Amino acid sequence: MPQFRMTGRGLWITALIVPPLCFVALFIVYPIISAFAYAFFDWQGLKRLDFVGLENFHTVLFVEPYRSWTLNAFKNNIIVFFALMVLQNGLGFILAYALWRELPGARFHRIAVFLPVVLSTIIVAYLFKLFYHPLFGLVNISLKSIGLSEWAQPWLGQSGTALWSIIAAQAWHMVGFPTLVFLAGMQRIPSEILDAVRMETESEWVKITKIVWPLVAPSATIVFTLLFVGAFNWFELPYIMGGLDGSPFGSTDVLGLYFYRTAFGNVSSGQQDFGLGSALAVLIFIFIAAIAAVITTRLRAREIQL
Amino acid sequence: MAQLSLRGIKKRFRDTEVLHGIDLEIGDREFVVFVGPSGCGKSTLLRLIAGLDPISDGEFVLNGHRMNDVAPSRRGIAMVFQSYALYPHMDVYENMAFGARLMGLDKPEVERRIAEAAQMLRLEALLKRKPRELSGGQRQRVAIGRALVRKPDVFLLDEPLSNLDAALRSEVRLEIAKLHREIGGTMIYVTHDQVEAMTLADKIVVMNNGRIEQVGSPRELYETPANTFVATFIGSPRMALVDVTRDGDRLVLANGGSILVGNMSGPETLKLGLRPDTVQLVRGASAEGFAGRVEYTEYLGDNAYVYVRLADGKLLSARTAPNDLYAPDEAVTVTVAPGPAHYFSAEDGRRLTP
Repeated sequence: MPQFRMTGRGLWITALIVPPLCFVALFIVYPIISAFAYAFFDWQGLKRLDFVGLENFHTVLFVEPYRSWTLNAFKNNIIVFFALMVLQNGLGFILAYALWRELPGARFHRIAVFLPVVLSTIIVAYLFKLFYHPLFGLVNISLKSIGLSEWAQPWLGQSGTALWSIIAAQAWHMVGFPTLVFLAGMQRIPSEILDAVRMETESEWVKITKIVWPLVAPSATIVFTLLFVGAFNWFELPYIMGGLDGSPFGSTDVLGLYFYRTAFGNVSSGQQDFGLGSALAVLIFIFIAAIAAVITTRLRAREIQL
Repeated sequence: MAQLSLRGIKKRFRDTEVLHGIDLEIGDREFVVFVGPSGCGKSTLLRLIAGLDPISDGEFVLNGHRMNDVAPSRRGIAMVFQSYALYPHMDVYENMAFGARLMGLDKPEVERRIAEAAQMLRLEALLKRKPRELSGGQRQRVAIGRALVRKPDVFLLDEPLSNLDAALRSEVRLEIAKLHREIGGTMIYVTHDQVEAMTLADKIVVMNNGRIEQVGSPRELYETPANTFVATFIGSPRMALVDVTRDGDRLVLANGGSILVGNMSGPETLKLGLRPDTVQLVRGASAEGFAGRVEYTEYLGDNAYVYVRLADGKLLSARTAPNDLYAPDEAVTVTVAPGPAHYFSAEDGRRLTP
């Protein structure tokens, strides 16, 4: 019978693993499991009432007005995800390529591109709220000064532009992150492979699509997965710039805000419902976990060992 | 057809000049080897010919066309890299097809060329494999195949054998020589290994410190090295250089004996170059020859090399019969076999023809 012996090395590993494991169990696993449990009960404030089975899930998915709210928030999350895929990851890839090719000023821009990432989200949110201010915001003043007065508008105050304005702020804030990950991936490509391509074509397009892009697949996996999770958990920027109600008229409402409002109530209605909120949280969690798993396995399959 | 002319080629990296004016003519179907120690500029020169780095000064003309500002892919030049630089995400077939397709060849032509190259390089069974599933020698052949399918005027090979183990190295060396005979293209080959240079080249270009020391056939370089650098670089074990002074018809080593060379003119002090095969050892002291002591012996089976410390502290190697064993510290006298000798100027190391 094999015997487990505590050697010095085994002790070390145990000592190092157990504390963080306890931490994770207490502050991550336990809340997730309890959220699961909460979702199956009826609640009044902090007081737990009867077990209601799948009633809460049914309500948020199929009963009006929750149904429309859920769908609206979900739709906005999808818009955010695809918009950021282009504006944040797409731009990040192009920026990384430009930095990697050591265009003039690459050293300065490498820092400049990453700098906003270090800023607090709160600061970025208030900064862009000021930029978008209808009367004295930088955006409108700039438009007026170059003779485009008719383009000036209350960016955060109308349904058509509010979400996109917040998305732009998010892209500006975080574009440095995918840039950095892609740049690291590109720097792993052996320079002789690049020389080999240059012997066969001078087209940047061919180099990017046929060689660089396939070879930075590991970076793409990381960046895509994190963006997916981030886009569907999006909260801070819309909360500060659009408010807890996703104003105007729910046009900036996303699942994160909607969940918060449902579970903890908001200033105007004061209603709170842990049961519905937990049901939403569970649905969001399952959706993100399932899709992220698919994305990761799909993208992993096209990664190659360099 | 491929006729290359390098005229006054210089290369600077910022303020450091690494190539100081290279002039070289390379003819059609020639196998040219650039050889020299690390950092002599041979790989840099190859990259300038490929177009991977810009030429700082001078002119590179290929078949009558100035190539300085032509993109690497439009020069009609293919390159085999030291690390092979295969595309890791493509299989062997795709690796070879990639460049051919970019040349605008149609599908049947691409397939025909790949089939031809695969047959020549024994790659048929490997076409669907990814580079990481291949051995070093197989990757090497794919890298050559990738160059072959483009049917370039000039092949550049940058230390192609340096990542292979010793046994495989001599095998691939023979294959490259055979390949050159079969396809008959112009090949430029960079190595720091003088054995590769001697065995493969029609013409060797010996480089040192960003300059060409000598250009010639392997035989010319071995028999008439232009200076002490080439003399000691070509041939193994290396040629010993002995500082001697001329006294009538004898060459005298300070406190170490002398040898008879007959009438000669030229400077009073010079360097005498002695290769292991022109040196003979006599046991004990003798009036004719340089005195020395045996340092150690290398036994190689078919012959042996004896290293002798001369009176002036120089180490000299002599080839002896394998059964001729010398004890360490044994006193010997070094004599020189009759035949062509190498004399170099004591000042600048140039070859002297007395």
